[in-house]
Amino acid sequence: MQFLYTAWTVKHKPKSTTEIVGNPSAIKTLSEWLQSWDKGVPKKRAAFLYGSPGVGKTVTVETLAHDLHMELVEKNASDYRTEDAINRFAGLASQYSSLFGGKRIVLLDELDGLMGNADKGGVKATTNIIKTARCPVILIANNAYDTRFRTLRTYCLLIDFKNPISSSIAKRLQYICEREGIQADENALKFIAQRSGGDVRSAVNDLQALAQGKKHLTYDDVSWLAYRDRQESIFNVLKMIVYGRTSYGAKQAVDMADVDIDMLFEWIYENVPAHFTDPHDLAQAMDALAMADVYRGRIRASQNWGFIRYVIDYMTAGVAMARQNSTVQGWIPFKFPSRIMMLSRSKAQRALRKNIGLKIKRKFHISVARAPTEVLPFLRIIFKNDVHKAVGIAKWLDLDEEMIEYIVGNKAKAGQITAFLH
Amino acid sequence: MSFEMWAEKYRPKSLAGMVDQKTIVERLKSFAKSRNVPHCIFAGPPGTGKTTAALCLARDLYGEGYREHLMELNASDERGINVVRETVKTFARSRSIGEIPFKILILDEADNMTSDAQQALRRTMERYTETCRFVMCANYSGKIIEPIQSRCAPFRFTFLPPEEHDKYIKHIAEAEGVQLLPDGLEAIFEVCGGDLRRAINTLQAAASMNKPVDAKLVYTVTGKASPADVQKMLNTAIGGDFLGARKQLRDMIQKYGVAGIDIIRQIHKEIFKMAIPEPLKIKLAGITGEIDYRLVEGSDEEVQLSALLAKLVEEGSEIKKAN
Repeated sequence: MQFLYTAWTVKHKPKSTTEIVGNPSAIKTLSEWLQSWDKGVPKKRAAFLYGSPGVGKTVTVETLAHDLHMELVEKNASDYRTEDAINRFAGLASQYSSLFGGKRIVLLDELDGLMGNADKGGVKATTNIIKTARCPVILIANNAYDTRFRTLRTYCLLIDFKNPISSSIAKRLQYICEREGIQADENALKFIAQRSGGDVRSAVNDLQALAQGKKHLTYDDVSWLAYRDRQESIFNVLKMIVYGRTSYGAKQAVDMADVDIDMLFEWIYENVPAHFTDPHDLAQAMDALAMADVYRGRIRASQNWGFIRYVIDYMTAGVAMARQNSTVQGWIPFKFPSRIMMLSRSKAQRALRKNIGLKIKRKFHISVARAPTEVLPFLRIIFKNDVHKAVGIAKWLDLDEEMIEYIVGNKAKAGQITAFLH
Repeated sequence: MSFEMWAEKYRPKSLAGMVDQKTIVERLKSFAKSRNVPHCIFAGPPGTGKTTAALCLARDLYGEGYREHLMELNASDERGINVVRETVKTFARSRSIGEIPFKILILDEADNMTSDAQQALRRTMERYTETCRFVMCANYSGKIIEPIQSRCAPFRFTFLPPEEHDKYIKHIAEAEGVQLLPDGLEAIFEVCGGDLRRAINTLQAAASMNKPVDAKLVYTVTGKASPADVQKMLNTAIGGDFLGARKQLRDMIQKYGVAGIDIIRQIHKEIFKMAIPEPLKIKLAGITGEIDYRLVEGSDEEVQLSALLAKLVEEGSEIKKAN
């Protein structure tokens, strides 16, 4: 069987207005206006939908046409670059009914695309079509208040599409995940939704990029995404800290960073070694980071967030002031915190190790924390050497196949052991 | 064929079966006989019988149904203050049914508890003394706050002397039909230093090779059984390669799941074996102590330990300059 790539924004496009995320009142206004055409030509012959990209303007028109059984004639800005081209479509708007007797909507999408000399007359022609339109004309643009639309606007019913709130977007993402058979953590979806800033389309695209082919989508799978498109700004922040000349300047950097303090810490922690070449400076800088970390611990223990100021002092000014002899030649790029990536990759393994630790603890009176040093290494040796003893111990500890495989670190051997288990 | 880890199989079931720590065992026996137990601290190195003694005491007190009157908590896993506030308190305050009016709570690795949690514990101990007695096991009693220490009867466990150690290991070897050669036994003691749990685990792992257990085999096993090659990491740092050393550290923590506390304690041991100026050893020991403390208080393992590695890089470059 062949799998073709289908964008989820297409595959899971709303079929009816009830599926659209947010903007219920805008949808209602548009729907009522469309239905008013049944009673004759209304005062405003065009509706002008405006709002940020990806909030559902076009899909609203498409689903309404479907719900109201109207024929949709859709033209993108790219199709009507000039006055001549637009006039060719004018005929479409001159009749309410189509050839086959159905009612018709003419949609002119992406009006923002009409720009400059090449599109000269485009807006004027559009205005003229509207003046005499015999069927509903719908215009869509990101910004209806662009001065080019000044005259056009007066002939239109203006309908504002607002950015949907992230919880509604998350709900939609959840629905898509269910249809794709993906089990997704709630906070992972919330994160994608929040990050989209109300752009449902980009949220769905991100979801597809992160979740397609997975059975389970976790927060760790998505959290790094936040930093993908913010690297430019984080680099400047890091430069201010790692090469700061004054304590004040280094501390200022925190306000510029649009990552949280913990993540900023990780960026600094990752990049300090490459930028502090002198061993003495490096030791000082790492010591400052360790102190920042001590205060993070104190915040956790006491829940006193006032200590955050000391965390900031140490991780910014403390690091900046560590530079005494280090000179760096040329440009050394800043790197994404590898520890974070490794942590998220090894999450499943850590969970497995913890579960083995819990099994050992139950029988062995030893902490989960200690099991990896005190018991696991010995188990590994026994399991590798003696299948029968391994079987016995696995039964005693109640280990499953996955755990056995982790312990012996070898699939074939694990198979031999588990074969005796049943 | 036995299906257990031997360290568990040969764990004494009663105080009478304990091989060493004679004076301690005698006192514990008298507690069991009088059916009264004070709060206790069992302090001493790993593998010297602290947990075993606590379990034996409970079994001698309550008989076979001892599990109903006993709770085991491990502070390394549950060291936060919430555990004290919830789990410990709930257990401690409920009344025991049976002839003995109190239950026993074994708090293992209690020195890994944060000081806040210890403060909370102190109040709980005081309030519910009638219904619950605490046995706290720790490597260092000094890490337990003074007010708790003063409420507890202290017991100091020491490493088994060689002859007791040998007797016990030989006994297990015989019972399991393992051919243990004299130099193998010596090697076990040398490598494990009287830590009986480690010694028994080593014996069992060596025996799984199905060869007579001699010194060579023991060394092979212990070499394989240490996921944390701390010595190598320290040398990488002293040699000036900070990123290399940090990578090794990260692997220990993330890949092998070695606890930061274990790494720092092993570092402490290794420092004194390193070929570095004597005064530096003391300086580094001081730093490890500080980091050890920070880890117990909940700091980030990798961040704290890599600060130590950076310090080693610095000292390494000083040594190079001096030569």
